[in-house]
Amino acid sequence: MLATNFMLAWQFYMQEFTQPHQRLLRWVQGVLLLFIVTLSLSSHSIQEYLQQNLQGLLGADAVISQKQPLSAEQLKEVSLFVDKVAMTQQIQTMLTYQGNWQQAQLKAVDHQYPLQGELVTSTSLQGIGETSLSGPEVGHMWIDARLMASLSLDIGDEISIANKAFTVSRLLQHEPDRLMEGHSVAMRAMINASDMQQLGFSNDLIRYRYLMNANTQQIDELIAWQQENLPAAVLHHKQGKHPLALFWQRTENFMGLASIILFFMAAIAIEQLSQVFMRKEQFFSAVCLSLGASKSTGIQVSIYKWLIGILLLIPIVIVFSTAFHWLIINFLKETFVNLAWQWQLPSMFKPISFVIVVFAIFNAPVWFATYRSSIAQQFRGKQTVISHWLSKLCSILALCIVAFVYSDNGLLTLMMVSAIMLTIALMVVISWGSLTLGESVTQHVSGLFPFALFMMKQRLLSKSTQILGIGLCAFLLLFTLMLLKDLGASMSAYQRQHDGNAFISQASQKQMSFVEDWSEEHNIRIRQVKPYMHAKLIEVNGQSLAEFSDKPSESLATLSKSIRLHWSKTIPTNNRVVEGRWWQEKNTNWQQVSIEQEVMTDLGLQLGDELAFFINNKSYTFEITASHEFKPGAGSITFWVQMPPSALTHIQASQYYMASIELDEAQWSLLAPLWQKFPTLRMVSLKEITQRFDKTLAMITKVISGFSLMIILLAGVVILASINALESKEKKKNSVIMSFGFSRATCLKLNIIEWLVTAFITAIGAILGTYIAGQLIYQSQFSLNYNPNFIWLALTLLMILSLTTALGVWASRSSLKSSIRQLISNT
Amino acid sequence: MSNHIELKGISQSFEINDSKITLFEHLDLSIYQGQSYTITGPSGAGKSSLLMLASGLEQVTSGSSSYIQGSQIGPLSDLRTDSGFIFQQFHLLPELTAINNVALPLKLRGDNQALVKAEAWLNKVGLGHRRDHKPSELSGGEQQRVAIARALVFEPKFIFADEPTGNLDQASANEVANILFDCCLENGAALVLVTHCNELASKAQHTFLLANGQLITKANNTQEVLSC
Repeated sequence: MLATNFMLAWQFYMQEFTQPHQRLLRWVQGVLLLFIVTLSLSSHSIQEYLQQNLQGLLGADAVISQKQPLSAEQLKEVSLFVDKVAMTQQIQTMLTYQGNWQQAQLKAVDHQYPLQGELVTSTSLQGIGETSLSGPEVGHMWIDARLMASLSLDIGDEISIANKAFTVSRLLQHEPDRLMEGHSVAMRAMINASDMQQLGFSNDLIRYRYLMNANTQQIDELIAWQQENLPAAVLHHKQGKHPLALFWQRTENFMGLASIILFFMAAIAIEQLSQVFMRKEQFFSAVCLSLGASKSTGIQVSIYKWLIGILLLIPIVIVFSTAFHWLIINFLKETFVNLAWQWQLPSMFKPISFVIVVFAIFNAPVWFATYRSSIAQQFRGKQTVISHWLSKLCSILALCIVAFVYSDNGLLTLMMVSAIMLTIALMVVISWGSLTLGESVTQHVSGLFPFALFMMKQRLLSKSTQILGIGLCAFLLLFTLMLLKDLGASMSAYQRQHDGNAFISQASQKQMSFVEDWSEEHNIRIRQVKPYMHAKLIEVNGQSLAEFSDKPSESLATLSKSIRLHWSKTIPTNNRVVEGRWWQEKNTNWQQVSIEQEVMTDLGLQLGDELAFFINNKSYTFEITASHEFKPGAGSITFWVQMPPSALTHIQASQYYMASIELDEAQWSLLAPLWQKFPTLRMVSLKEITQRFDKTLAMITKVISGFSLMIILLAGVVILASINALESKEKKKNSVIMSFGFSRATCLKLNIIEWLVTAFITAIGAILGTYIAGQLIYQSQFSLNYNPNFIWLALTLLMILSLTTALGVWASRSSLKSSIRQLISNT
Repeated sequence: MSNHIELKGISQSFEINDSKITLFEHLDLSIYQGQSYTITGPSGAGKSSLLMLASGLEQVTSGSSSYIQGSQIGPLSDLRTDSGFIFQQFHLLPELTAINNVALPLKLRGDNQALVKAEAWLNKVGLGHRRDHKPSELSGGEQQRVAIARALVFEPKFIFADEPTGNLDQASANEVANILFDCCLENGAALVLVTHCNELASKAQHTFLLANGQLITKANNTQEVLSC
């Protein structure tokens, strides 16, 4: 019986293969499968690459990293757990050479370095790398090729740091412990540990890293010892996750948001197509029943037919996703050196299975409706109210699964979904309002336009489904394009307007007071100065951070490291309180903090929660009494965690400053002596920001362009699907109109008017939706003040109007081929 | 001279799998406004095709066809604006209520009195009380009555109907047929009706039998009455 039904399903599948509804369904399923499988393959390649290269890249079995050196006693205890220890010290500094300056990561290594793996250097840019058994000798400095080019240095040149001269003796090609330091694009320089002592940098500016050889048992003991004795230190080990892998995981999760949007559009398309599928399947099932077959026959054939469609699609998806995977791996080789493309058939099955399950949920209403309805209902092919709502429920359920699986940033996902819901509500109101108003106003006016409005109003339910589908696609497309455009333009404009053109990310008190005097002396304007101290969150309500929240997010990743803790008497001008109350001046309770709203959402924090911060080797507990968010227009320096200034009398720790200053063209040359005096002053020029920004933007542009292409493709499919769903009704309407003595030209005119009205409503809905999404997401997620460009919006409106109308009229051409003869023969 | 349709020596044929099938040859037919005509005959004789040719929806394979308005002779395509149709399947638009279905052709013509006239026609076909009902809430006979009102509301000079009672029971068929003939007569419109039913055919002023490619004029009220 099963084989017979399968053969029957195959026969029907082949018969329907070229029909529009089947073709459109294949497109929707194909595009989504391709996107998800390619994404999974690329991420799998990266993870595998990292796994394979972990041993050679870690440079140690375990690394303890913190802002202070280990005391002699601690070092002695550590030595009991592990076989061998090497120490490195790292500091962010500004190197200057003949008027050129460049920020770099200066690393000092002891005689035990390298502990594992290869330290590769060369004597010229084109030179072949040689393995060095130890780091630079005293008085020597090894630098990487980018730093060499940036400072126009050559091998043998002398470079000074804080009046101490170093000879640039080798070119640094590879440090075995580099990846354990986390993903960083900073330029590199390496010196001997003895030289570091002579440079006399303040201890709290240096990051100390202890590389250790240890087996699994020793690592376990070390973890326990670190949690007990050095809770604020960061411990990386082979058994834990790779920092770069986590970085990639977050990128992958961000792409997950894109998946949600694509799934949303697929849901719209499949929902529209299901109207056609439901009619056909119900009719077939009714025929089967009338011929004495069981109820399950119709369902079985329907499921087999659906499965055949998916199974035939899989080989095509595998071929295309493999090709795209190859292209992406080549593109990523810039970041992941030596990353190689591999045939990964087994890793394709998980995403394919996942997407098939989601598709099955999308299609469930068709099977459910076929199963539930009676023979009489099936012959009529009328959708019951239950299956109508079931269809919507299934779409929402599938989207929830996708959101749950892929969501990295809870707030962003929530905002995106809220914007979509608001857009739907808006479009329902606009459709109903404009058609009702239009119909009543033009009731006593003659012509085709009032007639078109009348017809649309009468068919409001089916029309509004079409309007919603197209409108949502237009909204998602518009939002993506707007993000692409505004990320570049308004962000850079905003930074230039409020932040000055040089930014100090870390200055000690001494450095800051010097910068203030220096600014006054040279008439340089300081725009903002904000103090902070380093603090590491170790516990939330008595639980460790890892125990409290295990959902990966940007906030969790950042809070796992040391953060900047700011204090302010009043609410900073670029912040607003969204929950709780900011502390009053007379309030004696100093153990309270305000946390940024997005961090609260990401970590699931609530007012009243207790946070324990480790500050300068001491633990302090604070209660969350307020939550704040960024308010644009008063500078971009903002902090995630803020406390009352009264806390300063209880906490003994080094204080630093963030600041932004404005330099004119002639004043740039004044920076070189400033950095010469304070090499550890962390300052970036706008030039640098722009460069970094442009690089990021180029990457985002590529990603978003590819993504927009997917959306455009799916938007086209949604429009075609919505037309396909209404085609038989449209055909009938046109034939009936012609039977009143009207020509095909009249039907075409009516069709154009209907599409113009549809496009107008969708365009208004999409633009309003984009505006809402802009207001919600721009400020909170990108710290941008959303100022929509109305000329751009009007042009976009015109574009959506003409494109939707053109595509709609073009795609409806088959419904215009109707004739009275069809009505006569349609018995 | 009243408006009429003139078909002279018309033939209709088509090709299927390289073989030519001829439905009829050298037929002559004149249809005058204000008169009623029925075409009967066995299935496949070409009744519906003749209806399509007479209404100008299809071109004849050979012969001539014209639409004569007074002294003016024009092609049959001129007939389009003066003709209305009634179908076996009713073909009402399911989203519209009865009154809106009837008002449809008037609204398309920009008639401000569309709803008033539609209501008058609904009353005429005895469905004034069902004005706000959708087609799915009406019986087959009621749907066909709405379709008749819709076809006549814009006062066409010629009405073409293909098996208008084919989907109805005997009682409904009689009721619909009476309304159809009465309304056409009252409106001064010609009625060209294709049917299998001899009883219905007998109601017309002119009855033709199309069989074996020949169109034979039958004398009214003389043929055997069969159940339809």
